[in-house]
Amino acid sequence: MPNRCVHCSAVYKDGSEEVLTGCSSCNGKFFFYISEEKLKIILEDKSEEIELNDIDKKQIESDVREIAGIEDINSPVVLDFESVKITKPGKYLLDISNLFSKKRPLVYKLEEGKYFIDISSKNNLA
Amino acid sequence: MLKILKDLSRKVIRSLFGPKKNIKIGFYGPPNAGKTSLANLLCQDWTGEDIGTVSEMPHETRGVSFKEKVEIKHKGKNLTFKFVDTPGIATRIDYEDFLKFKINKKDAKKRAKEATQGIIEAIKWLDDMEAVIVVLDSSENPYSQVNITIIGNLMARKIPVLLVANKIDLKKSNIKKVQAAFPEYEVIGISAKNRLNIDEFYDSLFKLAKKV
Repeated sequence: MPNRCVHCSAVYKDGSEEVLTGCSSCNGKFFFYISEEKLKIILEDKSEEIELNDIDKKQIESDVREIAGIEDINSPVVLDFESVKITKPGKYLLDISNLFSKKRPLVYKLEEGKYFIDISSKNNLA
Repeated sequence: MLKILKDLSRKVIRSLFGPKKNIKIGFYGPPNAGKTSLANLLCQDWTGEDIGTVSEMPHETRGVSFKEKVEIKHKGKNLTFKFVDTPGIATRIDYEDFLKFKINKKDAKKRAKEATQGIIEAIKWLDDMEAVIVVLDSSENPYSQVNITIIGNLMARKIPVLLVANKIDLKKSNIKKVQAAFPEYEVIGISAKNRLNIDEFYDSLFKLAKKV
């Protein structure tokens, strides 16, 4: 699945170097996974996209880092939006069936200081 | 097979060394159902201290809190518990919902963030629980996604459960509806705020401890 920069919307293929080193257009280190289908829909119809201003984006990034307990601001973070969606600062939608799933941990700490917050799983207990 | 052996060895050890000390019991449920009110009542009765603060505003408890070694004597029996109070589990947290309680926008957003963090933490802690008291508001519809997900997961993890239908002092309270929604479990109706049916609750708590 492609990674999309939260700050400037640049899209990178899974495993791209930019996800580790920072977005090449805005230097951001906060990405989220987006499915090919969803990306296609958004590119075709802009109204499908959630409108966020720069302040909101920065706030959401700092909130996510705090919620996941990632203190190093230089560590890249990739968010899987399937379990915790943040539509605006202070507005959260939680998929608790996914959160309850025991199959995977909440936050992966990968090598090179990359974090992956993956709270989703296809094998839910509930 | 391994689980059967584990259970068996636990039973043998129990019979040799007497009852288990410090039974870990978690209080889980949706926000504002009265988890902390009930946990406070128990802690006040036996330790003289609260476990946390309560409020009319949802998501007052935003971190997991503990009370160790709560020794309860009931009808000639004596058990020691570790109580774990958890934040209310919700599917949607919106800071705007807090604004009507007259807090400012900044604090409301902070509360929403902490509540989200608290829910993730509460769910992480579930694996450490030996038994769970699910506290529901008996004046609300029991068939909510939150209730069904929590109870379904506890069942899947084979964690013993006691269902508490709180707020029976309210006119809209309907214990029968809670019982009908979750027929597999014992439901005890109480009012933590008005101390109604608490003796019966202690009966149920000791019954729950036996299942650990």
